[in-house]
Amino acid sequence: MVSETERQELRHRIREAVAKQNAAAAVQAIRQLLVATTKSSDVLFCSTAFSGIAHALVEQLGARRLKTYVVRSVTLEPILPVLSVEAGLANYVLDLQMGGYGSYVDELLNPASALAQFQPELIFIILDWEELAGRLEELCADGIGAEVEKEIEESAARMEQLLRNYRASSSARILLQGLVVPDSTSLGDVGDANLPHSLTNAVQQLNRRLSAVCGTISDCVFFDVDRIAARYGRARWQDARMFLASRLPVAAEWFTDYSRGLVRCFSTLFRASRKVLCTDLDNTLWGGILGEDGPEGIATGSAFPGNCYLEYQRYLQRLSARGILLAIASKNNEADVREAFNIRTADLALTLDNFVAYRINWNEKSDSIREIARELSVGLDSIVFVDDNPVECEAIRQQLPEVAVVEASILEPWNLVTALAQQPYFDAAVVTEDDVNRVQEYKAQAQRTELADRTGNRDEFLASLEIVCTFQSALRAPLARAVQLLAKTNQFNLTTRRHSAAEVEQFASEAGGQAVVVRVRDRFGDAGVVGLALARTQGDLCRIDSFLLSCRVIGRGIETALLAYLCEQAVRDGAKRIVGEFIATKKNALCAEFYPENKFIGLNASPDTSNGSIFYVLDLVNSTITTPQWITVEGN
Amino acid sequence: MSIEQVPSSLRELLADVFEVAPEQITPELSMTTAENWDSFRHLQAILALEGEYGVQFDPQQIPELTSVALLLAELKKKGVAL
Repeated sequence: MVSETERQELRHRIREAVAKQNAAAAVQAIRQLLVATTKSSDVLFCSTAFSGIAHALVEQLGARRLKTYVVRSVTLEPILPVLSVEAGLANYVLDLQMGGYGSYVDELLNPASALAQFQPELIFIILDWEELAGRLEELCADGIGAEVEKEIEESAARMEQLLRNYRASSSARILLQGLVVPDSTSLGDVGDANLPHSLTNAVQQLNRRLSAVCGTISDCVFFDVDRIAARYGRARWQDARMFLASRLPVAAEWFTDYSRGLVRCFSTLFRASRKVLCTDLDNTLWGGILGEDGPEGIATGSAFPGNCYLEYQRYLQRLSARGILLAIASKNNEADVREAFNIRTADLALTLDNFVAYRINWNEKSDSIREIARELSVGLDSIVFVDDNPVECEAIRQQLPEVAVVEASILEPWNLVTALAQQPYFDAAVVTEDDVNRVQEYKAQAQRTELADRTGNRDEFLASLEIVCTFQSALRAPLARAVQLLAKTNQFNLTTRRHSAAEVEQFASEAGGQAVVVRVRDRFGDAGVVGLALARTQGDLCRIDSFLLSCRVIGRGIETALLAYLCEQAVRDGAKRIVGEFIATKKNALCAEFYPENKFIGLNASPDTSNGSIFYVLDLVNSTITTPQWITVEGN
Repeated sequence: MSIEQVPSSLRELLADVFEVAPEQITPELSMTTAENWDSFRHLQAILALEGEYGVQFDPQQIPELTSVALLLAELKKKGVAL
């Protein structure tokens, strides 16, 4: 808690920053004020500040503006300012439109409804259980409830039907909020726990069913509000007085936690999770300082406090198991670290092999992290850095602002796992097979690099890789992976359009449309689905809407093979010319010359003023793109 | 009544809720005169006051507290030291 003077000073700084339209300064001061304050009016003040800099947030900080419609049966208006603050802190600007009470069926189904006319990019569906499964309370009253299962199934099926119908007419991303499990019912705690069809059990079951339904709808995520309510206490989650008087579903005390959970949840529909956790060693991965305490002296293992570090290592291991890459940036002698990993194997949950990259030296950590990013072909914005040293942390925050920094507390090592879990960096509603295989794939990459170093000639090296490309419709490969690529790929991405699954489906299914993914494998392993192209042929002209490739496979001719395949298909659809488009971003300079390098001719010398597009054309009658001879092509 | 009759902490809080300058929070300001003061802002104001001063309002009374003077009187009645 800060003093009143400091609080006023922060408010003053926020006002100034808003007046000057300095988004970064405003956000920084807002963050500081919100950490320091306990006053809900300060949150409202920040909400006003955020609406004052909405435009600057988008222009200066690249915030994502989202037209958002709220389908609801409860009063959410008092929560909206808090929601806009949490959204702003996560770099979103929500243009919110509220639906009517109890009209959700009409809103979702009627093509002329206010929802349909609003044409949102995102919808929240926030209903209480009376709307979702109104009969449940009555059916569960005796705890035996012969019809409870049926009611749950029917409720879930109704919601599924609604979502499917809505999806057929809109590609808006959907967040469906689940139900809060009631804290007490007429059966009492013992009855609730022991009777199979108590209302508490039934609501939990319905939540699981709704979550499963969301998994079958594209671009749809389930928001488990009960989890957040349980974290802070279901008994205090709602203020019965305010719910009964105004249908306010959450007590004012929890507006921030509720809003933060909501933002974290929908965020997975728009942003890819970070890919790399880069950890420090001393007083982070283990206790103590290796250089001073020696390999036997560092704290790790089953006894306290070593087990605090062991917990952290296990957490990293579990992250790795779902495809988060582990790396080390440590100021140490590499030989000492190798020795420590050898001698203390039994006390460590990780071996050096679990890390796909490491920089153990005396260089600046900002340099080490930059090198790791380059080695792994990931952007700095894909990295989370964990370190106990406040000076190192601050240096990274300033020098590499894209990197997310988690500061480990030396004094409270038992808090590190919680501190990490509270951050949204690795949030993902979907984990694909390619994610799980990624760690393996990066090891294969290291072997390739080694082979390339041994083979002098590039063509010889590429031929020795025995690359096989398989082209498939995005519908046949896991669609989630195609959408993930659209969301994640920055460097080799010609137009950087973040299409939704529904839009990809549209390309794949319409006449003349193409949504092609490329799978790649070679003698070292299967890289999985690594590229995507979306194109549309109308008459004799084919337009390439999107063309992207995961950067870890660039430079092996796969981009040319994909382009060749796309052209072949376009010709089959009747195209005589194909038009490619390039939109420059901060990150995709790598592929700026892609079309000219493949014999396309520029149509406009300077970028189109409206969206910065440069167009290129290729005459498909007189020229063809050839797949490099070292690539074997499979598929239709 | 003059502006001094609204204690500064209350003035600041209501200014945040209604998105106006603190000087505009006079005892006479009411749901009918303040542009921003609709029923949802009203609820926000009530929730913010409850959080700030640790009091609870009776839901039946909430719709009647339609001016700064009425809010102030009710807070005083609840023994809030302003």
